[in-house]
Amino acid sequence: MGVAGYVALRVGWAAVVSVIIVTVTFGLLAAAPNPSVQQAATQAALEGGDPQEAVERERQLRGLDEPLHVRYLDFLTGVYTLEWGWSEYRSQPVTTALADAVLYTAQYSIPWTILTVLFGPLIGVYSAANMYTWRDHAATGFAFFGYAIPNFFFGIILLLIFGVWLEWIPIVFRTEVPAFSLANARQLAIPVFVLVTGSIGAIMRVSRNESAAFRNATFMKTAKAKGVSPLRAYAYHVMRPTLVPLSTTLVGQLLAIFLGSSLLVEVVFGIPGLGRLTFNALVAQDTNLVLGSTLLFTFLAVVGNLLEDLAFTVLDPRISYDDREL
Amino acid sequence: MSTDTDPNAEADAPRFDRVDWEAYAGGRTGRVSTTTKLFALTVAPIVALAGYDRVAAGERETVFDAFAAATDLPLQAFGLDFAVTAVDYAFAATLLLFVWYLVVPLFQHPRIASHYWRRFKRNRPALVSLAWLFVVFGGGLLGPLVLNAPEQNILAGHQPPVGLTVAEANVPQCVGEVADGRCGGTWEYPLGTTRGGVGVFTGVVYGMTISMKIAFITTTIVAGIGITVGTVSAYAGGWVDEVAMRAVDIVLSFPTLLFFLLVLYVYGAGLGMFIVVFSLFGWGGTARYVRSKALSVSEEEFVKAGRLSGASTRRVVRRHVVPNTASSIITQLTLLIPGFLLAEAQLAFLGLGDSSIASWGQLIAAGRSDLAFAPWIVLAPGIVLFLTILAFNFLGDALLDAVDPEATTEAER
Repeated sequence: MGVAGYVALRVGWAAVVSVIIVTVTFGLLAAAPNPSVQQAATQAALEGGDPQEAVERERQLRGLDEPLHVRYLDFLTGVYTLEWGWSEYRSQPVTTALADAVLYTAQYSIPWTILTVLFGPLIGVYSAANMYTWRDHAATGFAFFGYAIPNFFFGIILLLIFGVWLEWIPIVFRTEVPAFSLANARQLAIPVFVLVTGSIGAIMRVSRNESAAFRNATFMKTAKAKGVSPLRAYAYHVMRPTLVPLSTTLVGQLLAIFLGSSLLVEVVFGIPGLGRLTFNALVAQDTNLVLGSTLLFTFLAVVGNLLEDLAFTVLDPRISYDDREL
Repeated sequence: MSTDTDPNAEADAPRFDRVDWEAYAGGRTGRVSTTTKLFALTVAPIVALAGYDRVAAGERETVFDAFAAATDLPLQAFGLDFAVTAVDYAFAATLLLFVWYLVVPLFQHPRIASHYWRRFKRNRPALVSLAWLFVVFGGGLLGPLVLNAPEQNILAGHQPPVGLTVAEANVPQCVGEVADGRCGGTWEYPLGTTRGGVGVFTGVVYGMTISMKIAFITTTIVAGIGITVGTVSAYAGGWVDEVAMRAVDIVLSFPTLLFFLLVLYVYGAGLGMFIVVFSLFGWGGTARYVRSKALSVSEEEFVKAGRLSGASTRRVVRRHVVPNTASSIITQLTLLIPGFLLAEAQLAFLGLGDSSIASWGQLIAAGRSDLAFAPWIVLAPGIVLFLTILAFNFLGDALLDAVDPEATTEAER
């Protein structure tokens, strides 16, 4: 099996996973009483109407009187044709609400990802090059600190110090400033810093430990004997093989933090991105929007895992495609 | 060298051909081991109490009250007056599981235990971490029996911690001493109080209980599913292996936090549901790890020897494969716990957690609006949460070094 075959298989598998997740979600919703049906019943009862009749009407309106498999197929087509319904809370289509929110999420996610990907391996390899010196210990301490401190707690503390006490940054996120401006950079600096601290630790540790193995490899000895400068030796002979095992960690780490913490960080800093939208939808009991945003995050996770596996395949030519795990 | 040794001593020294293998192998299969019997014996009262709770105790009375009323035992005197939930029963059963299958074996095999201990104690941060986790564990277990449950008392709101003062305008009524317009902290509330006058110290101690419950129960469920799927997958091979590993893929790529939000939205969810959802989607990594470990262990000579002497697959797996992967499984699980604790704190902070429990996240959420003048409400539980997560990470790393110095990079993934 060649590269193309493997990629096709892996993409197919990602599609299967997404269908399974959508199915589980449908099962979850189908098994529970629909909140809008209950709302209709309550409203009818309050207005002196017949709750039973209102329930029937609402069920018919929502298509809940159809057999299960028809509803399932409807749901499936709806999800994959991006017909995600109308958001009551935002008074706009769910997809539009999500698209608006993505812009804000991207504003801090992109700098955060770039910084993490850039500095994580660099500091890790630097740490390995100076192993067991105070620099290494400082980097390790920082890595553990960032890994262990809850992002939302760290965010609150930094907001207290820089927002409330020093008044360097605005406490509430201002949406009216343009995306590419100094004011926006200033209000996003702390959220980005919090997220970088949270995600860089694991990457630093992996790249430190992985590159430690290459540091004393024979090819490094050869390079040194040939008189290659340390910088070039580390950049060419240590960094490159380190990136291969790192690529498996990197996407997973970023995704985990993205899915978990972006929600919290957006709520703490008041950024109107995807996480905050999900949170508001939950609070406002907006089923379509809750469903849409969780599905969007889920698809991001599936695509992220897919990219991670593909990157690993492309980067490491040593393993044959036949005995590779999907 | 051998000429100066006492011939009698040499006769007494353990020799391979004189070892009573029956004693080591624990007899034939099919016989229940002493540990299992003792475990069953100790877990029986808990199961009985849970059954009693379901059958006899009324809707509005706690099981202890019902039991005390029925038997005239002064249970309240022992601090047994709280309402017992399903999570509590699971916690008690899990604790017994840990005592009989982890602590007792360590005492039964002092040589192996001291070997691990020697390697473990070289790592000083890990020692400190272990001490801290013992504090959290002890506080979580004994605290609720000693301290009264957190109670609201509006008049005692916003009291500062011991040694700190706060402007009198910020406190409804100063419990401690007032000096030049500033209210001082008292030992009645060592870490100050929240807006509602709940002692932060009490809140932190009760939060320890919640965190310990999450840590122990999720770990047990994750270990149970992970080890079963991992070993079955490794040993069955073929399509079973394929299906199991695909299931692992799905579980791993499932965003658990978001899925939980969905469950919460549709059904509403308490601590019990949190534990179930997070452990049902948390075993993927463990299963994958156990599988690869089991595959490499099954190549070892002693497994071949076991097979040659006629041991069944079940026996090989139970007596050779699982025990030999156990140490790495424990390490892997230690590194999983912080994620669960963090997830609970995050949900509680968002106000989406179980509001009936006093977790650290709830306390952080409660103090957020008063952060500017009463930072202790957020800081105390936040720092405790941070230290606990840090301790689990250090401990996991040290255990990794202790059981397998080669695998450092594996667990970092």
